[in-house]
Amino acid sequence: MTDTSPPPAPQLEARRAGRFLFYAGVALLVLWVLVPIWFLFVNALSAPSEVTGFPKRIWPSFDLASVQFFLQFQGVTQALWNSVKVAVLTMILSIAMGAPAGYALSRFDFPGKEFFRVLVIMTRAFPLPLLALPLAVMFIRTGLDDTVLGLALVHAMLALPFAVLITFSLFSGIPVELEEAAWTLGCNRLQAFIKVVLPLALPGIMASAVFAFVISWNEVFAAAVLTIENRTLTAFLLQSLNVSPLPLKFAGGAALVMPALIFIFAVRKYLFAMWGIANR
Amino acid sequence: MKSRLKLTLLATASALISTNAIAETLFWSSQATPIEETQAMREQVLSGFDGGVSFQPADPGPWLTRIQAELGAGSGSIGVLGALHGDFTPLAGNLADLSGIDASAVSPGFMELGLLGTDEQKYIPWMQATYVMAAHTNALEYLPDGADLMALSYDELIAWAANMHEATGEPRFGFPAGPQGLKHRFFQGYLLPAYTGSMVTEFRSDSAEEAWTAFLELWEHTNPASTNYSFMQEQLISGDAWLVFDHTARLADAFNQQPDDFVAFPAPAGPAGRGFMPVLAGMAVPETAQDKDAAMDLISYMLAPETQIATLRATNFFPVIDVDFPDDMPPSVQAAGAAIAAMSGADDALPALLPVGLGDLGGQFNQVYNDTFERIVLARQPVRAVLDDQADALRRILDEAGAPCWAPDAASDGPCPVN
Repeated sequence: MTDTSPPPAPQLEARRAGRFLFYAGVALLVLWVLVPIWFLFVNALSAPSEVTGFPKRIWPSFDLASVQFFLQFQGVTQALWNSVKVAVLTMILSIAMGAPAGYALSRFDFPGKEFFRVLVIMTRAFPLPLLALPLAVMFIRTGLDDTVLGLALVHAMLALPFAVLITFSLFSGIPVELEEAAWTLGCNRLQAFIKVVLPLALPGIMASAVFAFVISWNEVFAAAVLTIENRTLTAFLLQSLNVSPLPLKFAGGAALVMPALIFIFAVRKYLFAMWGIANR
Repeated sequence: MKSRLKLTLLATASALISTNAIAETLFWSSQATPIEETQAMREQVLSGFDGGVSFQPADPGPWLTRIQAELGAGSGSIGVLGALHGDFTPLAGNLADLSGIDASAVSPGFMELGLLGTDEQKYIPWMQATYVMAAHTNALEYLPDGADLMALSYDELIAWAANMHEATGEPRFGFPAGPQGLKHRFFQGYLLPAYTGSMVTEFRSDSAEEAWTAFLELWEHTNPASTNYSFMQEQLISGDAWLVFDHTARLADAFNQQPDDFVAFPAPAGPAGRGFMPVLAGMAVPETAQDKDAAMDLISYMLAPETQIATLRATNFFPVIDVDFPDDMPPSVQAAGAAIAAMSGADDALPALLPVGLGDLGGQFNQVYNDTFERIVLARQPVRAVLDDQADALRRILDEAGAPCWAPDAASDGPCPVN
């Protein structure tokens, strides 16, 4: 009683429609992300009169006036370098503190564990404008004010909840039996962690590091209040950009987006790992 | 291996923590934030100062938080503060007395504002600006018959906007009602004084109701995207609006880019006069400044006639002292200068000062006017009810601040009354 005849027409049609919907959805999502970025670069690379004119251009005219003004603006390169320093330091700090916390949460039972988990998220419950004033007072007193390290500490605090929770679920996904096997074969706790758990968890840890990087890169308010001479690019530009002429807004927007795009592109395979897509 | 790692980390940390010693005076400003203005301030205005200046602009929020933090910590790096009159009021108790600076060239009225209600010179006037109207030359042909561009009335303005709307099929009046727009200044200093002769006292009077009704009529011919507009120069250049109201510094780009396409003219007059609002920015030295002498030298330098003219070119804010303008001033300065002169020199001129004595309630004061606008114009609530409602809020703020009336309202004993 096997039915080898092809499926009836309506079913085929439904499948075709489904496939069409799928690809249309994919195309829509891709355009959703790419079109604004495309226009950002088109306008950044066009002459100021073309930016404000109508109709808008589809292809850039490669007039570099806006970009040039922008690059000559005093302090842009310094601010870009500061941004990179702060973001990298934030990445290191949040992983150095977050990964052990995530490991402890997944492997050990200790009193106050649930409370601790809530506490970690609580750091995101207070808006930064509220925290910035007392933080700045304290930083000025301790000498951390206007330093890359001081700002990285604040950004690490913002990134920690994500680092802790992402690594927690990562370590929970690695069977404890693997570690136990390593112990029986002569490893101590640390060796077992480094030789067995870490290689398995590394892509995920990298993903949460990328997350920390992006959080730091995008943060404005703390950066604007806690640094003056050593501002990050975001703090340096965002305040000036929203009151600047349109062509410069585009040039600045492109400058803000570009480094983050390159960075994310470079580490994309780790990002996919975070969502459980195999590392191919 | 581990100790080497530790060493590297330590070295990195100490490298990151050390800052360059700051020999320059830090000029922390809430003005000249657009990057072209910042650039011009650094290269054309401050480069002539011998002591060395680091000019750092910031948004008003971070600006205030930062200086409050330094005052709270009792030490800081800011040498000179630059901001609008209203920004200084919450800081009055922590600003150094600047009476040692020779500012005799500045008009006494401005210097008195710099006292901030104390008997010490809390800030020295830096530069001034105001708000004017601007129009595309295309709009001029729709000007109602018999109307004089340099002496418009609100009725004529509405008729003009209506003519354009009818003839071109599109609402062409533009109003800076966006999040960064300065709409509250229009209501405080222009619309209400023009109809009521008052900013505060007559807030809920019949003539105020008339003013809002007139504005509702104007709104019919206003580009509905106005709730996104903040710098009207952009809409002038893009052609989204042909007839606009805004701060001179926020119109400058249009005049400088296409000088032949735009005209500037005074704000319209209402039954009570031609209300307009001069804006004053000042410079102050916080108590926590490390080198007060250098800071005061910088302020003296900023008052020199050449510096004041350079500041005008950089920021489109006008000098606070009498200067002879060179002939080659940018088109924006020429256009706005003529409009301002016509406005302040008009027979019916009615200057309305920035709020005085509100302290840190200034933001709430502005909010009352913005709320009134949103409720009446955007939410279409009945004018009378909204005015009664908002008058209560206004009264509460003035009572709490204990602020006596300022021009154009008649002086009062005790808090300014809201009738």
